[in-house]
Amino acid sequence: MITLWIDDKQYEAAEGRTILQVALDNGIQIPHLCYHENLSSFGGCRLCQVEVTRDNKTVLTTSCTYPAMDGIIVRTDTPKVKKARRFVMELLLSLAPDAPKIQDLAQEMGIVATRFTPAGDNCIRCGLCVRACDELVGAHAITFAHRGAQRMVEPPFAEEAENCIGCGTCVQICPTGFISMEEQGMERKIGKWKRTLKMKACAKCGRPFISFAEIAFIMDKVKNPPPADWFDYCSDCR
Amino acid sequence: MPSLYAVKTLPSQEYFASGHRACPGCGEALAVRQVQKILGRNVIVASATGCMEIVSSPFPLSSWEVPWIHVAFENAAAVAAGIEKGLEILQRKGKIKKQKITVLAMAGDGGTADIGLQALSGALERRHNILFICYDNEAYMNTGVQRSSSTPFGASTTTSPAGTHQAGQLTPKKNMPAIAVAHGIPYVATASASYPLDLAAKVRKAAATRGPAYLHILSVCPSGWGIPGDATIKLGRLAVQSGVFPLYEVQNGKYKITVPVQELLPVQAYFQPQRRFRHLHPETIEQISQDIREKWQELKKRSDKTN
Repeated sequence: MITLWIDDKQYEAAEGRTILQVALDNGIQIPHLCYHENLSSFGGCRLCQVEVTRDNKTVLTTSCTYPAMDGIIVRTDTPKVKKARRFVMELLLSLAPDAPKIQDLAQEMGIVATRFTPAGDNCIRCGLCVRACDELVGAHAITFAHRGAQRMVEPPFAEEAENCIGCGTCVQICPTGFISMEEQGMERKIGKWKRTLKMKACAKCGRPFISFAEIAFIMDKVKNPPPADWFDYCSDCR
Repeated sequence: MPSLYAVKTLPSQEYFASGHRACPGCGEALAVRQVQKILGRNVIVASATGCMEIVSSPFPLSSWEVPWIHVAFENAAAVAAGIEKGLEILQRKGKIKKQKITVLAMAGDGGTADIGLQALSGALERRHNILFICYDNEAYMNTGVQRSSSTPFGASTTTSPAGTHQAGQLTPKKNMPAIAVAHGIPYVATASASYPLDLAAKVRKAAATRGPAYLHILSVCPSGWGIPGDATIKLGRLAVQSGVFPLYEVQNGKYKITVPVQELLPVQAYFQPQRRFRHLHPETIEQISQDIREKWQELKKRSDKTN
């Protein structure tokens, strides 16, 4: 166990945790967008910035990537932190002006309008979809491409994402609604990844419920595969 | 929402500890667990008397890892309203740090539709920033299955028994979500623990709503409904798929069906496994089925109109 100070209060934490995790465990609210507890830390949205003092040096850093260390002093609401967060929030707001989650966060911080021209495509480059696809699903279907202002999430070579199994985890985890999924009859279409998947219909109710690609993926991935007829029926009829 | 296999994106931290005294297969305990998972740590819960209060807090034990207040049967909403106002004033005066704290009032169907209705109506009308969740198991289960106004037509309970004189409950189920919608509040939704992603999305939306939000969660009760404990999830899904308990949300008066059902299953599929419906005649079931279909069509029309 290590002890650290957050906002003049002493907290104990297990080793290997980040400052953001310790803060959230203890009910201290730090705004964050790209952090997800089941995924690795990314430090992409820059919203969770805090001031950390260690060995008499103070730095402004992202709390989701900074490990909790013995004796460090963390401040979450200094003027510098607030200014940095507000600036980041305005940038995010210009990227995704219509996303309800971003709007709510901005309003909580007291930001009504952004000074930047809204020039975004609704994606804030938080990397949640890329990490979820890599770490949770394991399909590795999408990735970041290009650098700097041109950076964006894309399937490899901007062609059809051949590894995409159409599970919908990226749609579920996206904070802005940038990724969307359409069900058209017996097909599932994820337009952003240029992917159309054939769906399997339930043998009982006839509702398409899982893509053939996903069945093959699951059968291949699990150590003890379910019985062969497991995916004949949907979760309602099984 | 289409069928997704993305449950791993839900938080793994638990705030409703295991080891409580709910019956095996309790759908309500499952729903509470899922809701607390989503609401996280910064929440204050006012819980009316009912199953969940009994099973989760036998003195000196407690399943709650968040601040939790047990209040009388009728005033969960009133107490939550008081907490919300108190927090607002303390934050304005600088006594506590400004932060977002969700105030949750929870009650069973008795604590919502019967005994707690006037306190709930008052809290909704005064536009308190609270989230009220009704865990509806369709009778007073913890005292031994007495009928409530939320008991569906035809269901046999100890105070509306099926016999020679009457066939179970004589009155239709009170439409609580519609009553909440009639208050003109920003967010009303129905949910089921059998659809966890849908439930999670609704709880998130409700907690983020400024102003009152009302959630009506169907909690399958194996002991009261007379089903085996391992059929809870299945019954919850059947209730939705047969149109008995459609899942929808009403955002600022706009209806939206969140779990679309292409073709409703026959209502027998939902009634057949349950002991409380086994006395029903085929004609009665046909009548109920027609009623359900009419209500479903009406809901669909409303949903189509606003989308």
